[in-house]
Amino acid sequence: MQLKHALAAVGVAVTTLLAPAARAQVVDFNTTHGIFYEAPSRTHMFVYTPGASLQVSPTDFLDIRAGWEADVVSGASVAVKAGPAYQATHPAADVVSTASVHDLRNAANGGFTLRKDIVTLTAGYAYSTEHDYRSNSFNVSARTDTYDKNSQFEIDYAHNFDSVCDRVQPTATSNQPTQLIALEDSTGCFSSDPTRTTKSIAIDSYQGGWTQTWTPVLSTQLLYTGEIQNGFLSNPYRAVIIAEGVKAQEHHPENRARQSVAARLHYYVRPVKGALRFGVRAYDDTWGITSAAVEAEFEKHLGEAFRVTLRGRGYKQSGAQFWSDDYTGGNAPLGPKGQYWSGDRELSPFWSWSVGLRGIYTFVPKSGRLLGMMTSLKLSLSGDVISYHYDDFTLGGVPIDNARAWLATFSVTALF
Amino acid sequence: MITRTLGLGLLVVAALATSACATVRPQERAIQADPTMVYDGEPHETATVQHAVDNREGSIGGSGVSGGGCGCN
Repeated sequence: MQLKHALAAVGVAVTTLLAPAARAQVVDFNTTHGIFYEAPSRTHMFVYTPGASLQVSPTDFLDIRAGWEADVVSGASVAVKAGPAYQATHPAADVVSTASVHDLRNAANGGFTLRKDIVTLTAGYAYSTEHDYRSNSFNVSARTDTYDKNSQFEIDYAHNFDSVCDRVQPTATSNQPTQLIALEDSTGCFSSDPTRTTKSIAIDSYQGGWTQTWTPVLSTQLLYTGEIQNGFLSNPYRAVIIAEGVKAQEHHPENRARQSVAARLHYYVRPVKGALRFGVRAYDDTWGITSAAVEAEFEKHLGEAFRVTLRGRGYKQSGAQFWSDDYTGGNAPLGPKGQYWSGDRELSPFWSWSVGLRGIYTFVPKSGRLLGMMTSLKLSLSGDVISYHYDDFTLGGVPIDNARAWLATFSVTALF
Repeated sequence: MITRTLGLGLLVVAALATSACATVRPQERAIQADPTMVYDGEPHETATVQHAVDNREGSIGGSGVSGGGCGCN
């Protein structure tokens, strides 16, 4: 009887929530799923990223949204990093931890958007948990559409209050980075376990953007992004061989300032009813990494409901100043680098390319609603292959020669 | 040097922005409203791809600042 009453109450609540929304066609539901897989020499990684979001617009000037996404991660990573010079005299010094990476990130977010004339204000909050990481963040943005909506200016800001799990170090070694021991696993993290501690990370992110329509078929966008990180920025699990017989937890600087400028151009090619899109991005940071990325896409209508996109991207970065593939010696760029050390291949010099294809089909009923509810239903499917080419990074003393990754996404968007 | 170049670039952008004027009339904006011409027209799919790519590169930028954790093993 109680269950019957409860179900009736839920039914009334859902009807009450959806009825005005359905009349005004202002509910937007999306679910997106991504799958990433890579298997270079001696290691592999699989990540499934599901997500769902709901946006409701009860009035013309207000949007309210809530969402969830996750990362289901499994694979292997490098637990102890050594380079070829050290490997030559100490075979198998590199340790790939085949069971170390099984993680689940859950992230919930919510926010709202207010519109008044030419101004749009947005604010949001996100909270995420992993076995070894917690994140609280808020973001705000303001946008204005001026000159008959030919010019849009936008500024964004976000702040993260994050914390990462680490092991409690023996007292005698707690102030000696060269003697710090890496975290063995996430057991006991964010609990009262006396062998675990947490370290904080603060991230401030800024972005400013200008989007301009120049002609009926040409528009451009310019973006500046800045980010300041402070806190424990190393991988707590990773150890690096830094001298003969000396293995220490990865040790990165505690501060990092990052900035980039990106420019995009969209041009509609009338004869083929398709759009060409180009993008370039330049980046540098205080760790000495500079990078450039170029992107090109062509999207074309095939009939009224179907669109297909062909896309490609090229990327190249230098390594961080303190990064070395082998801190124990060898020819440049190997050898000691100073007070910091890293086994992170994302801080090594490399270049990559990717190509991908995306198809989008949109159902819009000529009259009435799909299934009596939806004003439109959009299905999107994409696939990309990414090839990474590491200039100096090695595993087991040998270069990675088959670092290819596959990325697929599937997305459904329904408007009610 | 790069910081100076970026600063100069921003100055040029600001100059262009303040001189921008209405170049396309509202009745000419049909193509600009086409989904192939919209910036960030597929935000969910784009964010999923960007999340995977960013976690394997040493750089960031051009894709918003919404935050939301690491997921970066």
